[in-house]
Amino acid sequence: MNAPVPNIFADAVDARSLPDWLSQRRADAVATLRTQGVPHRRIEEWKYSDLKTALEPANDSIAATAAWSIENVPTGVTLFDLADLSAAPEWVRAHFGKAAAAETVPAASLALAEGGFALHVARNAVVTEAVRVGLSANGHVRALVVLEDGAGLTLIEQQSAAGAFRNTGVEIVVGANARLTHVRLAQAAPNNVQIEDVAVRVARGGLYRAHLFTGGAELSRLTLRMTLKELGANAELSGVSVLGGSLHADVTTHVYHAAGETQSTQLFKHVAGGKSRAVYQGKITVAKGADKSDSRQTAKALLLGERAEADLKPELEIFADDVKCAHGAAVGDLDADSLFYLRARGIPEQEARNMLLRAFLREAVDDVADEAIRATLWQSVEDALPRAMVSAL
Amino acid sequence: MLDIKNLHVAVGGKEILKGLTLSIAAGEVHAIMGPNGSGKSTLAYLLAGRTGYDITQGSVTYRGEDLNTLAPEERAAKGLFLAMQYPVEIPGVTTLTFLKTALNAQHRARGEKELDAMSVLKFVRKKAEALKVSEDMLKRALNVGFSGGEKKRLEILQMALFEPKLAVLDETDSGLDIDALKLVAEGVNALRSPSRAMLVITHYQRLLNYVVPDRIHVLAQGKIVAEGGKELAHELEAKGYEHIAGKAA
Repeated sequence: MNAPVPNIFADAVDARSLPDWLSQRRADAVATLRTQGVPHRRIEEWKYSDLKTALEPANDSIAATAAWSIENVPTGVTLFDLADLSAAPEWVRAHFGKAAAAETVPAASLALAEGGFALHVARNAVVTEAVRVGLSANGHVRALVVLEDGAGLTLIEQQSAAGAFRNTGVEIVVGANARLTHVRLAQAAPNNVQIEDVAVRVARGGLYRAHLFTGGAELSRLTLRMTLKELGANAELSGVSVLGGSLHADVTTHVYHAAGETQSTQLFKHVAGGKSRAVYQGKITVAKGADKSDSRQTAKALLLGERAEADLKPELEIFADDVKCAHGAAVGDLDADSLFYLRARGIPEQEARNMLLRAFLREAVDDVADEAIRATLWQSVEDALPRAMVSAL
Repeated sequence: MLDIKNLHVAVGGKEILKGLTLSIAAGEVHAIMGPNGSGKSTLAYLLAGRTGYDITQGSVTYRGEDLNTLAPEERAAKGLFLAMQYPVEIPGVTTLTFLKTALNAQHRARGEKELDAMSVLKFVRKKAEALKVSEDMLKRALNVGFSGGEKKRLEILQMALFEPKLAVLDETDSGLDIDALKLVAEGVNALRSPSRAMLVITHYQRLLNYVVPDRIHVLAQGKIVAEGGKELAHELEAKGYEHIAGKAA
């Protein structure tokens, strides 16, 4: 007899008719859900984000499909609506749902979402205009982004604050020498449980680059799982979280260096005011044989409130020889020497604190090459700072 | 300008200054010399208003006001400047932005007109040239990756920009080679004026060959143990602090 279906799940699951190519992938996802259930704080990876408790008030009402919108599809990009899987083109059939069954959260979106979007960029097509995707409403939603060899794309994902629960499951396939820039903006969503799982596979010489802004939610969890699967594949991540009130934001990354000469860099800055909680868990695995891999990871948090909390957890697993891995994590207050220096030059204390706070965050935004994206990210920071600083005054 | 009377200062509960008395008038340049641990930097930080430096006895009066009641930023706006021994590095704040913010904060506090970005740039460029502070330094993050000499030149540039009434220079000569020392000294000398007082704190006589003081005070174990004219520096250099401090005791 099957175990009962967890509450982020619905009875519709087994009744849906699916194309043959998908039925096994979906069945695996259902099995994962049944065996693992909704993650809770006694599971190590979810220690700082108790999804089960956060979802209790929602009970079993969340089997809906969240809404997505793409206003403009630039030339060179193909958009496919995942609501009609029976008409899926080959590139969707090849990749959709393949990287979802291992973990509960993406398994839930694969099992439950009845829609989503898929984007495709053809071989050697470099699209300069960004694709903007808005995600809103309650429920589960899936996304697939496929860049063929040599392709280039910028994807700007905007998570709307409205709603009670949203689970976004994204699969990204970066072909050989292809480059994807993924910008994710998630403004503060105090009444929302917002979870997202992004599974990325990067082929030879390809680059996955992510720039994140996280404003927090009642519970916000972003899991980025990246596999650098061929020689010279790269991942570059930077992110800022700016939290106030009782908001929570968990950014969890896992970079898997599967092949040699792969590189990953991560720079995360968190500011937590009020009684908010910022979480960063960064796991790096260097597989056997992934020699000459280079991996750097920095995570820093500033606490603005006595009741604010930051949990930074770097983790390294190295099975290869001749690799470079550097990581650092630090939680603290603004630097007293810097504060004194600025005040001794006539800058009033509050203004000096503001300068240092912005300087702290700026480091993780300044490395964004695209000026428009940099400005958008910075604007999100500015919008979020007043809430974070309430308790600091 | 500055009147220090029987000053006792404790840092973390430990008394460092033990009855220091010193008076500087406008137009004068005084030097404080002393061995390591004598309390030189404690005096500098206390004057600038750093937290953790507690006056347990005595008083510091700056232009008729009790300095102890003023926040560091108020002291700066009222014309007190400390050139620091260890200028801090602040990533994420460009040097020029910092200078503009500080300059305008002081103007605002004094009820003066604030300067726009262009006026600040012109003003800074004019003063920067003499101190060989390059455009590149102004564009970089404050003190980040600056050499020891560059940091000290930037301190003196700030002194030139803020036009203080009382400038305290804490070990401005430390870590400088002879060319950098001359450059910094020229910058300091250019700011000597009948309306400005300076207090030069140093371990060595070297800087005082270039910035010649009107008066030298020798600080040892939290007290002034000897005083004299500029010739005292040479005596110290020749005979050492032990000799002078011992003679006083």
